[in-house]
Amino acid sequence: MTGLKAAGFPERAVRARARNGTAEVFPPADGYGAELYGAEAASGTDALDRARIAPPVFMPRRLEKLIELGREPGHDDVDLRTEVGGFASELPLFLSAFGSTRAGSGDLGVAASRQAARLGIPMVIGENMVPVHGYRRAGADGADGARSALLARIAAYTEAVPDGVGGVVVQQSTEDADSEVWNLVYSDPGTRPLLESGRLAFELKTGQGAKPGLGGMTVVGRAEGARLAGRFTVRDVLGGGSAADADPAGAEGAYLLRCATPGTFTEEIVRQQLRFMRNNFPKARTWVKFHPGRDVAQAAATAWRAGADAVTVDGAEGGTGWAPRVFLDQVGLGLADCLRLIAARTAGAGADRPDAAVDCLLATGRMWEGGRAVRALALGARAVGLGRAALIAVDEDPQEGLVRLAGALALEARLLISALGKYTADALDAEDLWWPGGGRTPVGAGTPAAVPGALS
Amino acid sequence: MEQSSVPMPPPLGEHLRSPELRAAMLVQQEALYAAREFLRGQGFTELLPPLVGPVTDPGGRGAKALDVDYYGHPYKLMTSAILYKQASLRGFPKLFYIAPNVRVEPEETAGTGRHLVEFHQIDVEIAGAGRQDAQDVAAGMLTHIVEHVWTAVPDVLRELGREELDFAELRSGKFDACTHEEAVARLVSGGHPQSPDAEIDWAGERILSLEADRPFFVNDYPKGSRGFYDREDPEHPGVLRNFDLLAHGGYGELVSGSERESDYATIVTRMRESGENPAKYAWYLDLAREGIPASAGFGMGLQRLVRFLTGLDALWQVSAYPKLPGVVAP
Repeated sequence: MTGLKAAGFPERAVRARARNGTAEVFPPADGYGAELYGAEAASGTDALDRARIAPPVFMPRRLEKLIELGREPGHDDVDLRTEVGGFASELPLFLSAFGSTRAGSGDLGVAASRQAARLGIPMVIGENMVPVHGYRRAGADGADGARSALLARIAAYTEAVPDGVGGVVVQQSTEDADSEVWNLVYSDPGTRPLLESGRLAFELKTGQGAKPGLGGMTVVGRAEGARLAGRFTVRDVLGGGSAADADPAGAEGAYLLRCATPGTFTEEIVRQQLRFMRNNFPKARTWVKFHPGRDVAQAAATAWRAGADAVTVDGAEGGTGWAPRVFLDQVGLGLADCLRLIAARTAGAGADRPDAAVDCLLATGRMWEGGRAVRALALGARAVGLGRAALIAVDEDPQEGLVRLAGALALEARLLISALGKYTADALDAEDLWWPGGGRTPVGAGTPAAVPGALS
Repeated sequence: MEQSSVPMPPPLGEHLRSPELRAAMLVQQEALYAAREFLRGQGFTELLPPLVGPVTDPGGRGAKALDVDYYGHPYKLMTSAILYKQASLRGFPKLFYIAPNVRVEPEETAGTGRHLVEFHQIDVEIAGAGRQDAQDVAAGMLTHIVEHVWTAVPDVLRELGREELDFAELRSGKFDACTHEEAVARLVSGGHPQSPDAEIDWAGERILSLEADRPFFVNDYPKGSRGFYDREDPEHPGVLRNFDLLAHGGYGELVSGSERESDYATIVTRMRESGENPAKYAWYLDLAREGIPASAGFGMGLQRLVRFLTGLDALWQVSAYPKLPGVVAP
């Protein structure tokens, strides 16, 4: 090096790429398995968080509640129970998929499942669990009686969930189709209680917020990479370093990138795949998850018309899994934009779709507290998903962490909704938000930046 | 569940000694003789089908293929040999198999009286044919088989309680036809909740079958209810150029058939529409890229045919080694 300087230019990043090549496209690989990725909002807020929650002075709905109760209503009178994708839920919340990130597929995933069940909220289990982790097999040793991550999570949930609420949603992506995850789950005796009580759903996964347009990615050691190479693209782009810290299976010394395909979707493919799901698994509910694409409103409308019980939109702020930095920083629409696009289309669809009001829209992306959840609900979501927040919460306390986190969120939501003079979660409306610049429509939208949030 | 009064199989040894099974096997061998005689007379060549392969018919209605570890590669037992039928057309433009199939059917089908995990199909494919051609062969073959069994083993059939008169309409070559849309409308108007996007459900098939006095074709199933290989009607997008042949008297579906999709790009697209990953069909897609002849064909369920001929209550009664969905049996 000559000491050449380039003020005003991202010199450090260019030098890092000159040293480390493609490894710099990603966050440091030695953090894999101990860090949750996904975007963090620039300067503390993103477009959704910049909207202020704006109570009115005159509250005719509070008067309605006063008459109903015969006393002044308080925040405890807010009913947060709702219907989420065909399931009864105690809160307008669900546990999001953790994907195949290793942080989410071990004990933390099981702890989160159990607590979601106790809360009476639905749980989504992520893609690639079966092709990566196996179905019956718990680990490479295939010990007797051992259960896969997927079955362990379903069992933990089923044991703890009260009657009549909640539900389990199992994703399948294009590569999962090779392992026929839905078929396995649908015919497994262990899922029969869920199926018979109408609490099993399948989610067609078409993409994710953290890397719109790409499939799932994980970091694997060489040994695991060789095992997965037949079914996934496994590439040596992460540079050297000892993988032993992050992955005992990869003690030989280098990280590999495992990529799943996102699959190809058109309007007709989405429509027909949903029909196929409903035909083949008539007792299961049908969910769809979309990445924050620019045509997300059209995609959502297509799915609802094809009979989807829920459409989840994952904002660009979302994700727990590994992703290239450029995707975390620069790709996909923010959640606020997604929700507004869908609301605008739904509003314009009234005539030809009289049932649009019952369409179930679910929102995910950096959810953790009541304010952001209430904003998403006001923009049309029926419920919001907890992903990273849930994993951090159960990491903090595997017994009560998620229950406490959801309790705090629920209290905030009750306070906010009652302050708006409303007493059910689905009464929230776009009128309840005030956007910077003064008005009921947002001005501009921030671009989230990526910072990994370390697990304690 | 329909037909909940259907008896369940006794232990295998007892079943193998039963007079009903003996009668059914006599009828079955005459039916197979007649099927082969008819098809060979029409210029068809009999091939023997493969048992395992890297992929099989992905099927539908929740039926699963069984996995086989094939030198470390995940193979499947054949749920149907449809992909191999199409692939064989260049060498054998008129071909048939008597094909064994294994489908791990959902447990709720155990009580339909019409499902077995292991069963056989008389599997026919005709290069350059359209739906009508395939239906003509299916109807001709069924008529010939019925004619033959009533000539060869009439006493066996009468002993089982069958009456020749029940087959009079069929033997005179009369087959009815309706569209899937019409069948759905008939069921819905009769109070049966039938989805317009799906196959006719088991109960619905039984209702239609009981109402009829001769076999009938149901045409034009909606896309999404069948596999990617059934050809979409270019004149009516969303509708397939396929059919089922249902027997009268409550016996239901005997045959499923269709014009086949042979255009490579359309096959890939249809695979995605049915949630399949095209990469795992590499051998079949390579052939499709080279060119698979346009064709039509069908599979006639052998055990369902024998049940219809014998009038026995359940499909297991016409299988020597019956395996009912969800029941672990030798």
